[in-house]
Amino acid sequence: MLQQRLIDALGADAVKTSPEDMSVYAFDAYSQGRNPSAVVLPADVRDVSAAVKIARECREPIVARGAGTGLCGGAVPIEGGVVIAFARMHRLLELDVRRRRARVQPGLINLDLSRAVAEMRLFYAPDPSSQKASTIGGNIATNAGGPHCLSYGTTVNHVLGLEIVDENGEVFTTSIDDAGYDLTAALVGSEGTLGIVTAAWVRLMRLPESVRVWVVAFGEIEAASEAVSAIVAAGIVPSALEMMDAVITAAVEEAFHAGYPTDAAAVLLIESAGLEDDMNAYEAAIKHIVEAHGAISWRSARTQAERDALWAGRKGAAGATGRISPNYYTQDVCVPRSKLPAALRAVEEAAGAHRLVVGNVFHAGDGNLHPLLMYDRRDARQVAAVIETGNAILQSAIDLGGTISGEHGIGYEKRDAMTRVYSTDDLATMARVRDVFDPQRVLNPEKIFPRGARCPEVKPPTLVQ
Amino acid sequence: MHALSALLARCNAERRSLAIVGGDTLRAMLLPPATESVLLSTASLARIVEHCAADLTVAVQAGVTVRALAQTLGAAKQFVPLDAPHADRATVGGTLAAGWLGPRRHRYGRPRDLVIGSVAVLADGTIAAAGGMVVKNVAGYDMSRLYAGSFGTLAVLAQINLKTLPLPQRQRAFLARLPEGTRERAAAALAALAAPPAAAFWIDGFQSAVDGDEGDDGRLVVLIDASDAALERSTLDLRSALGRAGVPETRIVDAGAREAFERTVDACVATLGERSITYRLPEGDVPPPRNAVAALELARAHALRGEAIVDVMNGDAFVRVSDLDARALGTKIEAFDDALHAREPHARVVAGEHPIRNDLAVFGAPPPAIAQMRALKARFDPHAILNRGRFVGGI
Repeated sequence: MLQQRLIDALGADAVKTSPEDMSVYAFDAYSQGRNPSAVVLPADVRDVSAAVKIARECREPIVARGAGTGLCGGAVPIEGGVVIAFARMHRLLELDVRRRRARVQPGLINLDLSRAVAEMRLFYAPDPSSQKASTIGGNIATNAGGPHCLSYGTTVNHVLGLEIVDENGEVFTTSIDDAGYDLTAALVGSEGTLGIVTAAWVRLMRLPESVRVWVVAFGEIEAASEAVSAIVAAGIVPSALEMMDAVITAAVEEAFHAGYPTDAAAVLLIESAGLEDDMNAYEAAIKHIVEAHGAISWRSARTQAERDALWAGRKGAAGATGRISPNYYTQDVCVPRSKLPAALRAVEEAAGAHRLVVGNVFHAGDGNLHPLLMYDRRDARQVAAVIETGNAILQSAIDLGGTISGEHGIGYEKRDAMTRVYSTDDLATMARVRDVFDPQRVLNPEKIFPRGARCPEVKPPTLVQ
Repeated sequence: MHALSALLARCNAERRSLAIVGGDTLRAMLLPPATESVLLSTASLARIVEHCAADLTVAVQAGVTVRALAQTLGAAKQFVPLDAPHADRATVGGTLAAGWLGPRRHRYGRPRDLVIGSVAVLADGTIAAAGGMVVKNVAGYDMSRLYAGSFGTLAVLAQINLKTLPLPQRQRAFLARLPEGTRERAAAALAALAAPPAAAFWIDGFQSAVDGDEGDDGRLVVLIDASDAALERSTLDLRSALGRAGVPETRIVDAGAREAFERTVDACVATLGERSITYRLPEGDVPPPRNAVAALELARAHALRGEAIVDVMNGDAFVRVSDLDARALGTKIEAFDDALHAREPHARVVAGEHPIRNDLAVFGAPPPAIAQMRALKARFDPHAILNRGRFVGGI
């Protein structure tokens, strides 16, 4: 009934119904939900609207999905239902070079946008490590970050307006230039629980005149993290300030030969972008600080090719750990930047207590940690250890005045941890927004908000990484 | 904060409407309060809660003035680019709540882009926090940015947490009179600079309110934020670009650059008492200052005096129309308002004391999502006690 109605409305090629085809859409990069009742691949906003209306009439929940690269179960259909996947809506619709803005479909891959506008000397700033695969729509749902958010801000700062299909299948638009409430800001980061993005106006930025990249090695991880805190405290905000520990650089060098030193306990990847005139002073200031904190080597990437190789290594770091461990789990927490050394110590202790290998690769300048916990999912003891360690890291970030997700989202994974950072009143206030946009809780149900009395207990999804 | 909560809960129970006021510097962006309203001032919420200089973050109560925040941060060589008019009186909460858009936002972001957390008090007295003191946080809905620009109609902002930025080492202002026929080329030259100025205004009118002298084609006030190393190059680039655009001379102001910039920002909402109404025109499809020039012609066609401050880097414009006395303005302004909105549906009133202001299209065209906005208002403030009826669409 549901499947046939969707096929009638959208066409057979836009609807997947076989269990094998649909099983792919039960996963993201974190976990597995139930097999959906149907998967639709809309071609335009009318298809999305029709699919939502049919799903509602058939009393099925609706889960919007970009590339499925999410790390917290955000796109996983916990209750099954209709998955709306945006793979076919991947076009750049309009480009306004003078005003530096673009209108895009949600399935457009993040990196494809920057590539498409590069010849106009423009780029799209949010650059999650998944940017070769993840979509603008998915990035909007999670308010995605990335290394360059340090100076340019996260996705919310780059979205100018949205076209949304609501829980009833009706279409409305938002713009940050409209009078009234900033619905754009409320919708960005709402993880598909308030509406489904079918188009977005995004801000583009001018490529900087000059870019420099430096690789700094440290003999101790503590010294590296203290150097990061000191750079920030000195009022220096580079365009990116990333950190990798020895576990990660070893894997990265084996996989990519990117040019990172493998004899260091920790490496900082620092990028400065802006006016050529500023670069020497910038370099001197940063060099002074890292040397005062015991840096053992300093290298400038001389060419574009060198810079690209370093960045490719950094963005491929998580994948590269496949060489040292069958599985890994990525935690995502954010702490005040002066607390970085303490947060890293806590990671070390938590992993050590469970005898897990941990690799750290993260947005140090933002205080946004990503410990990668290595494990083998065939070993139940290791799986349990990963869950406990992840949890301990979460708690340590909270204890340091931080938060439970810097950029990956809450999704299914961290919903119950929301009560650790927010009061009942705080959460009830957020739920008021949900009441307006999704009173029946049919849009991506069982996400963000903690399990309450009114929600049935569901089986936790399995860790699949 | 708890006193505020108790007050709101009581007013809510009694269905009494509250008029919320910060520094009262942008009141014309909103309709006037109903006469029976209780005035709620945030003046006593004047504490800088925590400046974490090493984290580049700050938490302030809503009633802290923009100037007080700037002074505290300045001592640590930091700033938050709120760029609100009348910084001595404007409050941080009011600036955020009004959705004020400072002229340096093309470079540093909108004020709301720098918000990392908040504590708000809802109409029923609920105290609700969102975000925190970290610079990246995607835990839950972005309530803080929803409250920003809501003019206190969803909740009263009590505390705001912000990212701070390192203060530029140098500020330099440039003043230039524009010879005839140079304004468009000058604006285009400024927008295209590899080292873009922090702010650039094309100004027609506002004689004594802003610095510099008026040329045949108006004048420019430009602000550069730069490092020591980049200041001279930025200066050279700016002057040669303007030279090529037909502007032969620019005057440099080093001591007092910030003040010259602030006077220009203040002028954006300066009134001539009841004799003027000021509109903000959003960035349009034509390059600046063409949209403002068209609005000035429209004013002339309605026998009104028109003056403009165009924010060249962001593309929006402030257009002040006035007449010799309030009565004369009153007879002409409604026809002008209609004609302006026919051209610029999103033009909004931002300043003006004339009582007729309330009959104008103060918020411009109703937003497409007005139904969702009304539903939000009803869910957050069902008895409409917060700034009742003062916002767009009767919210």
